[in-house]
Amino acid sequence: MADHAATHAVHDPNIGNTGIDHRKMGMWAFLGSDCMFFGSLIGTYLAYKGKSISGPGPHDVFDIPLTSYSAALLLASSLTMVLALAALQNNRVKAATGWLLATALMGLHFVLNQVYEFTTFALHHGLTLSTSLFGSSFFVLTGFHGAHVTGGVIWLLLLVSLAMRGKLDARDYTKVEIAGLYWHFVDIVWIAIFTIIYLIP
Amino acid sequence: MADSHATAAAPHARGGHATVKTYINVAVALAIITAVEVASLYIPGIPNPVLVVSLLGMSVIKFFLVVGFFMHLRYDHPILRGLFVGPLVLAIIIILAIMALFSAFVLLPRPH
Amino acid sequence: MATHAAFMPGAKVETPTFWGAVASWLTTVDHKRIGILYGSSAFIFFLIGGIEALIMRLQLARPDNTLVGAQTFNELFTMHGTTMVFLAIMPMSASFFNYMIPLQIGARDVAFPRLNALSYWIFLAGALFLHASFVFGAVPDGGWFGYANLTSAQFSPRHTIDFWMLGLQILGISSMLAGFNFLVTIINMRAPGMTLMRMPVFVWMSFVTQFLIVLAFPCITVGLILLMFDRFFGTLFYVPAAGGDPLLWQHLFWLFGHPEVYILILPAMGIVSEILPTFARKPLFGAPVVIYSGIMIGFFGFGVWSHHMFSVGMGPVADAAFSISTMLIAVPTGVKIFNWLGTLWGGSIRFQTPLYFALGFIAMFTMGGLSGVMHASPPVDLQQTDTYFVVAHFHYVLFGGSIFGLFGGAYYWWPKITGKLLDERLGKVHFWLMMLGFNLTFFPQHYLGLIGMPRRIYTYAPDLGWNFWNLISTIGAFTIAVSFLIFIYNVIRTTRSGKVASPDPWDGRTLEWSIPSPPPVYNFARVPQVHDRDDLWLQKYGDGHGGAPRPKAGPVTAAEIAAIHMPPTSFWPIILAIAMAVMISGLLISTYQIIIGGLLTLYCMYKFAMELHRPPEGHGH
Repeated sequence: MADHAATHAVHDPNIGNTGIDHRKMGMWAFLGSDCMFFGSLIGTYLAYKGKSISGPGPHDVFDIPLTSYSAALLLASSLTMVLALAALQNNRVKAATGWLLATALMGLHFVLNQVYEFTTFALHHGLTLSTSLFGSSFFVLTGFHGAHVTGGVIWLLLLVSLAMRGKLDARDYTKVEIAGLYWHFVDIVWIAIFTIIYLIP
Repeated sequence: MADSHATAAAPHARGGHATVKTYINVAVALAIITAVEVASLYIPGIPNPVLVVSLLGMSVIKFFLVVGFFMHLRYDHPILRGLFVGPLVLAIIIILAIMALFSAFVLLPRPH
Repeated sequence: MATHAAFMPGAKVETPTFWGAVASWLTTVDHKRIGILYGSSAFIFFLIGGIEALIMRLQLARPDNTLVGAQTFNELFTMHGTTMVFLAIMPMSASFFNYMIPLQIGARDVAFPRLNALSYWIFLAGALFLHASFVFGAVPDGGWFGYANLTSAQFSPRHTIDFWMLGLQILGISSMLAGFNFLVTIINMRAPGMTLMRMPVFVWMSFVTQFLIVLAFPCITVGLILLMFDRFFGTLFYVPAAGGDPLLWQHLFWLFGHPEVYILILPAMGIVSEILPTFARKPLFGAPVVIYSGIMIGFFGFGVWSHHMFSVGMGPVADAAFSISTMLIAVPTGVKIFNWLGTLWGGSIRFQTPLYFALGFIAMFTMGGLSGVMHASPPVDLQQTDTYFVVAHFHYVLFGGSIFGLFGGAYYWWPKITGKLLDERLGKVHFWLMMLGFNLTFFPQHYLGLIGMPRRIYTYAPDLGWNFWNLISTIGAFTIAVSFLIFIYNVIRTTRSGKVASPDPWDGRTLEWSIPSPPPVYNFARVPQVHDRDDLWLQKYGDGHGGAPRPKAGPVTAAEIAAIHMPPTSFWPIILAIAMAVMISGLLISTYQIIIGGLLTLYCMYKFAMELHRPPEGHGH
């Protein structure tokens, strides 16, 4: 009996010979790959920067205060994410659920801000996907980032739902940890996009 | 059984671990840097290269704060660092190469 | 425990019914079965791609021929290239990754068995989606490289390019998921004592290949996304009138495309690095150097992509930079060739079929490499590009290299996978016929290219001096086809009545030869303890310095086998793959289908993720 527990504690099939959980390693490999994805999109944006032949330019349309607020939202959501993880590690499931929900809601707020931004660009400034190179590259780059955020929000809300049904606790630390890694990545991509696209003239 | 799982399931590879206090400090730093970034846009008469370099520098700092502390890479097995930093460096080089090839900065003379 | 008794090794299993057997293959998560699925699919698509080639060669056998017209010819070369690269060579390599990597590192399966199955079913969905274009009369016709802005909605208004574009995206997802799986498997699931430098070179080359896959595919994913947005949503990425640059497509494509050719060749190089030591009964000469060369090829492979673009006018600085990097990358490749020769030198060589293919690889790939180095010089390339000289080059490296290597792997590992040995005589006939046919087909194409025959033309005038060698080339192509028939006959005959293989028919050096042929579902009854590279050889023969062979461990007990937990089957991989295919093909059918497919996909992803949440007692979580 004791043997069984001992072999079980040692023999977690998810942990490999580096001591790292397979899923955590897989997520880091995926994030590395996603760097190449966003790198290609950012490269495209920068290749075409200043080369549109018509239509509004970036500094005709950008609302820096709103975008700064969105950036702050994502950074704050990264904080709530690590707080969720810290709570879960100590099996404080209710606190973890709260922090996870806060993270998801801030992410949702970010996406809604983006929807507002996109709509304003289209309706107020006449900037759409097909207006110019700027329109095309801006909407595709930030749109795919927004899609990543949306996917993250859904993932987090699913975790919240599991937790509220009593199906998530400290045993699931790694699962929440990898959701966190994905979430932080989405945040750092925004750090790059915010600076390169919005701030740099 | 549940107890041994509860603790066994929260592995930490390397020594050291960020505390909640660390996280809050990092978050405050991120907020301050972001504020400085946005504010620097409004500094009158700031030369372009200075603005660009300082913005890039500040975002790099934010980047490494999130990756190192929030994503725990500072305390993790070096292999995870390699799995992420390698592709990151490659991506940056490719961005620069694409920019050069499209004359985004005049690094390559425009073809005739 | 009881719930999974049926999957316990040694448990009584009744002979399955036909539909039971089908279900077991559709829901398998066993890396060996998935390897067989990949291999059989790859071979079928290889034959389809081959038929496309034969039709092209028939059309080009004579000047002013009328077998097929220009449009059909465009479709043929597009599908031939796309099929051979994505549906033949890549999945054939994947077949060996799947079957052999866990065996060679002493593992019982890959890190994520269900994800592994998912990769296969998504691959199949992509392959079928691409070929559905035949059913809908919209066969892709823009070349396997789909250059913009021929591929724009303006110049390719039909769905041809959509099938190609979306098919490749689906295939890309499959490859990337598998890439993550094998990366984690190789890093994290090696048997005790197997340090990275003690891994077989095939595993090393596969390891580098997985990095290339996960880092290069995102570039083409983006390129294809930009194309999709241009075609469906009116963006301007490749629209010159709006300031868009078709060269952006070329850069994104070749940023992927060049690492892709290393993805295509490195596994075959790994196979050759396994075969040569076995049949020379000597360790791989300079194994660490071969490994480092493979790493360098992979890494520097990201720095040469614009050598496919020397004729587009990038300017002298860019041309020079990529020319230099391309010439440099020939160095580690050459190093490997010398190491392989060094392995053979002084070896006790047994001339059996796998060795023939490995030797053929070395000779043919070297020739392809030489013509490649010629292309590295922009002024020389300006004459060669877009001519049959390039066609000759890449067929020498991809057919003479990859295909020969993969056939070598097939003959080498056939006994391990099936428990039967392919017939030696038929194997040698296959080899020599294929060697003859291959060189007849492609060697004259060097000459044809240099006297001016362009690529991708569907016919040519009779007075250009191209007639004779085109005819020879076609005869060669049909000779290759006959050689494949011999291989197929060999396979059928062996399956029916072939010689039963022992666990170690070649007196091998690596761990896969230490277990039965075919292996039991759990691979290793006892996880091996590894002390060195070529550990099995040392176990059998000692270290060659007077050290005795290692003492054999005691026999495996039934209790040990009963304690092995293998993952249960799952139907979520195939169902999720179908949901994704429904969603993506909705782009060509209706928005409702995209939405419904998308919701289904999300649902299946959720069920997939939850399948092992809170498993029954006895499965560590």
